[in-house]
Amino acid sequence: MTLLLDVVTTAAILFIVAAGLLAIFGVLKIINFAHGAWLTIGAYCAVATAGLGLNPWLALPIAFAVGAILGGITELVIVRPLYRRPLDAILATWGLGIVIGQLITLWFGRDVQFTPNLLSGTVDVFGVGYSLYRLFAVAAALVIGLAFTFLLEGTRLGLSAQAVIMNEMLARALGIDTARVRLATFMVGTGLAALAGVLLTPLTSVDPNMGVAWLIGSFMLVMVAGSSFSTLAIACLVFGGAQVLVSTFVSPIFGGITVAVLCALVLRISPKGFARA
Amino acid sequence: MHENRSTPARVWLLAALALAAAVVVIIGPALFDRFTLNVLTRSMIYAMLAVTVDILWGYTGILTFGQAAFFGTGAYASAMVLSHLGASPALMVLALALAIIVPVLLGAFVGWLSFGHGSTPLYATVISLVVPIVVTQLVFSGGVWTGSSSGLVGYSGLPLGLPGYFRLTGICLIVTTVVALVFTRSDAGKLLVAIRDNEARCAYLGLNPQRLKIVLTTILAGVAGIAGFLYANASGVVAPENTGFVFGTEIVIWTALGGRGTIIGPVIGAIGIDYLSAQLSGDLPFLWNLVVGALFVVMIILLPNGLAQLARMVLPRRNEEQASPSGSPTLAAEPAGNGSEAGNRVLAVSGLGKSFGSLQVLQGIDLDVHPGELVSLVGPNGAGKTTLLRCLSDGTEATTGTVTIAGQDISGMTPDEIVALGVGRKFQVASVFDSLTVADCLRMARASRNAPSLLRRSATLGLPAAATDILRSTGLDRMLLGRPVSLLSHGQKQSLELAMVVALEPKLILLDEPTAGLTKVERTTIGATLQKLTGELGFAAILVEHDLDFVRDISTRIVVLHQGKLVLDGSVDQVVNSEVVRTIYSGGAHA
Amino acid sequence: MLEARQAETKIMAPKLSLSNVSSGYGPVAIIEALSLAIAPGQIFALMGKNGMGKTTVLKTILGFVALRSGDIRLDGASMSGVSQASLIASGVGYAPQEQALFQDLSVRDNLRLALRSDRGFAQAVERVYGHFPFLRERLSQRAGTLSGGEQKMLILGRALMLRPKLLLIDEISEGLQPSVVERIAAALREERRTNGTTILIVEQNLPFALGIADSWAVLKLGRIDDAGDVTAGTAARVLQHLKI
Repeated sequence: MTLLLDVVTTAAILFIVAAGLLAIFGVLKIINFAHGAWLTIGAYCAVATAGLGLNPWLALPIAFAVGAILGGITELVIVRPLYRRPLDAILATWGLGIVIGQLITLWFGRDVQFTPNLLSGTVDVFGVGYSLYRLFAVAAALVIGLAFTFLLEGTRLGLSAQAVIMNEMLARALGIDTARVRLATFMVGTGLAALAGVLLTPLTSVDPNMGVAWLIGSFMLVMVAGSSFSTLAIACLVFGGAQVLVSTFVSPIFGGITVAVLCALVLRISPKGFARA
Repeated sequence: MHENRSTPARVWLLAALALAAAVVVIIGPALFDRFTLNVLTRSMIYAMLAVTVDILWGYTGILTFGQAAFFGTGAYASAMVLSHLGASPALMVLALALAIIVPVLLGAFVGWLSFGHGSTPLYATVISLVVPIVVTQLVFSGGVWTGSSSGLVGYSGLPLGLPGYFRLTGICLIVTTVVALVFTRSDAGKLLVAIRDNEARCAYLGLNPQRLKIVLTTILAGVAGIAGFLYANASGVVAPENTGFVFGTEIVIWTALGGRGTIIGPVIGAIGIDYLSAQLSGDLPFLWNLVVGALFVVMIILLPNGLAQLARMVLPRRNEEQASPSGSPTLAAEPAGNGSEAGNRVLAVSGLGKSFGSLQVLQGIDLDVHPGELVSLVGPNGAGKTTLLRCLSDGTEATTGTVTIAGQDISGMTPDEIVALGVGRKFQVASVFDSLTVADCLRMARASRNAPSLLRRSATLGLPAAATDILRSTGLDRMLLGRPVSLLSHGQKQSLELAMVVALEPKLILLDEPTAGLTKVERTTIGATLQKLTGELGFAAILVEHDLDFVRDISTRIVVLHQGKLVLDGSVDQVVNSEVVRTIYSGGAHA
Repeated sequence: MLEARQAETKIMAPKLSLSNVSSGYGPVAIIEALSLAIAPGQIFALMGKNGMGKTTVLKTILGFVALRSGDIRLDGASMSGVSQASLIASGVGYAPQEQALFQDLSVRDNLRLALRSDRGFAQAVERVYGHFPFLRERLSQRAGTLSGGEQKMLILGRALMLRPKLLLIDEISEGLQPSVVERIAAALREERRTNGTTILIVEQNLPFALGIADSWAVLKLGRIDDAGDVTAGTAARVLQHLKI
């Protein structure tokens, strides 16, 4: 039972962390290697919120706003010149990640920070005590997934973004301002990443390099998922499940690389990942 | 033939530079304090890695973070032998051997994984990220064997002392750099750039770029392993960080900042940044990384070719001198090997069909082509002309039917294998190697027949007479060296590509709109060339063309394609006067 | 007095003019020294065989293909450096030939994408129904599942959503049955009559093109080979250029 809950909650956490990266990759075909840095930014928003004595839940909207604003600046200054050089975009955003990591270190110091718990304690699920927060993560993942589906299917921005994904030339020919769609998408993606950073704080220690550990897993999941949120959800369940199983029955150390290795193999067999299926 | 005419000045320059560097390395221990020696020893090992990254990324276009993994496995293989077995001379040899063999095996596997048929550049980068992560985790889970998170320390290495290590690594770095410089500037080294510029063209010149990339990855993994061996000995400690992807990104950063594609740039970048890091990070640790990171971002956006690009803009160009006629290779005639007997079919197509999902693009195509024929393929947009050419040059394309070339069924064959059967394909948009010279482009076309030298630049360029003719008639023979092909005019590029295809000595040439965007004069030249190739030299050619006046003037036969079907196959007169063609071209025709 | 003269020149001035235009991809020139002018409310047919640069002319007007030299003016104002978004907003409609629909989106979403907000949708779509009533029942259908003729009508309908003053239409009749071609011709005539729309069509279908156009030109190798007003003898003259 605990195992099943572990699978679901792990998948939910992976989904939350990867969602922002997917939003950007799906529309812009750019891999934001500063994604880890945005997770860190989000987590430090939680630290700062707590430092100001505010309600810890306020960290969520604050992080989203901070992440989106910084993301907007990044798109304009760094990403925009590199749309035609996607490999260079990986490098430039990685470099940006280093810069952000160092700025955070300068500001907050390199020590591990602690944040107040958003939710603590356990609940009984079918007679087993289980971390309330991990269950909340499932709800959060669902909310993010649904919100994104609504954004994509139900709003103008989403429709324009879909048009850009499907056929950018035609989108421009119809008068859609693709530059603005890209900016908005990048802001949503980085906002989500920062939001995910806040949601991670109860699960992991907060330090200036915390994001890097999450980057590769999210990156691989996004590679497999392509540009669809439902495929990402499936990928998170499958590979998150595999991770939990390997961690439990083989070794936690190998569990840590399960997602990356399996994703790499899937991509070798089917270069488009799950998107083709 | 007469390769040793004179030793070029650049060879002397290289030798002098290498010698100077060697002198610095030998007397270095007398000049520097212990701290500096220590740091520089490490920096020089890193510089070896930067050279390998530069060959992969700067020259071949494969962005890799994986060299850290090969370096790490080499280092760990050595350290494990030395810690667990001992450091006798025999075991030291074993350590070195394993430091090479293990990364080489891993590299071959990674290469195989990264460069399958149809894999993307991004996928290779993805794999290069996963490999170091996996290696790091293996190290963590290795218990006492790998020392887990604390690494291995306290084993005895080569009995050299600090000055000795400094000299050894220095010599290794100089050797690596010189070999890399000689190789990347040799005829064979141009292959790397050719792969980076245009992998599809490589395959259609009968080369196998995927296999070349696997070989390259394997060899450079071995070089990284040697660097790992040096590191394990010189530093006396190996740690999981040495294998990690973060370290892999650092190597890429040094390479980028120094200037990718220059070999020397990355060496200077690695030594400079690592040395400065060690000097400065004591005083202002985070600020230094901040500066490096910011510099890196700015560099990638504004100066993608690194500081070397800046240096090249500031320093006067020497390249112009090299462009002087004396350095230009002489064109040598190769014996004509075009032995297809007239009468035999070069190409036989029967029942060929191609569909994308439910969309039938081609169906029931039957077509025979004999030596000496110039068959034009015409039809409105979307008739399937280009698709048909693709089916003839890539055995994995057709959905139904058979294509036989020179008597051999091509189903399932890759483009390079079909080139070997005697098919040359000219693309619609001139497909050449933009950063190579005309001479090097043509040499690539001959590379599948005459293996290019790994060491030198040949003074001769052997080409079949038909290819030389094209060069002469278009004036390209006077532009063999000196500037990259990207600066040629559109018409010159089209002619160059045709010359490259002809240099393959194919039995059958496939041409997709070779005259698109050309001037009247250029069209006439290409038309005359094609007529000569087919009429006099016995090549067979299939030409897709929109310009029907052009088609009428030069073809021996015209085939009309409409909505994926072959509707007419006849002489020029038959087709020109046909009612079917008139309706197709005035619209309104319905299948 | 002065105002009156200005008003007069405005009437006389062409809606769209290309003077000495050369354009192409990278170093390749597809269009060379091309000049043409289309008066307001005129329907102009640009013809020529495949690969002669007809589509490139439209793409150059829209700024998708870089202008190498020459000048393109809309209502007398230079169009260089104007983004597609502002061109479309200023009343240019475009019906492309290839990949002209979002196949996986619904008919409704395809139509919605012609507008920048959903506010004017109901009104705009009514205009389109006026020409192509079948679209009313197909709003939720995936555009890719429409028949070839229906897709072409959707493409044209979408270009009409913004009530454009200038319509650029690329080979709309390609592969269509005569009855559908007739419906499209009727829609274009109607649009010009009620809205004064200036229309530039790129065509290979002679009967259709000459049936609706006032003027024509034949393009060959990126240059204008022959041109004139549509008269009784035009068809024979153009056919001479189009046949092999």
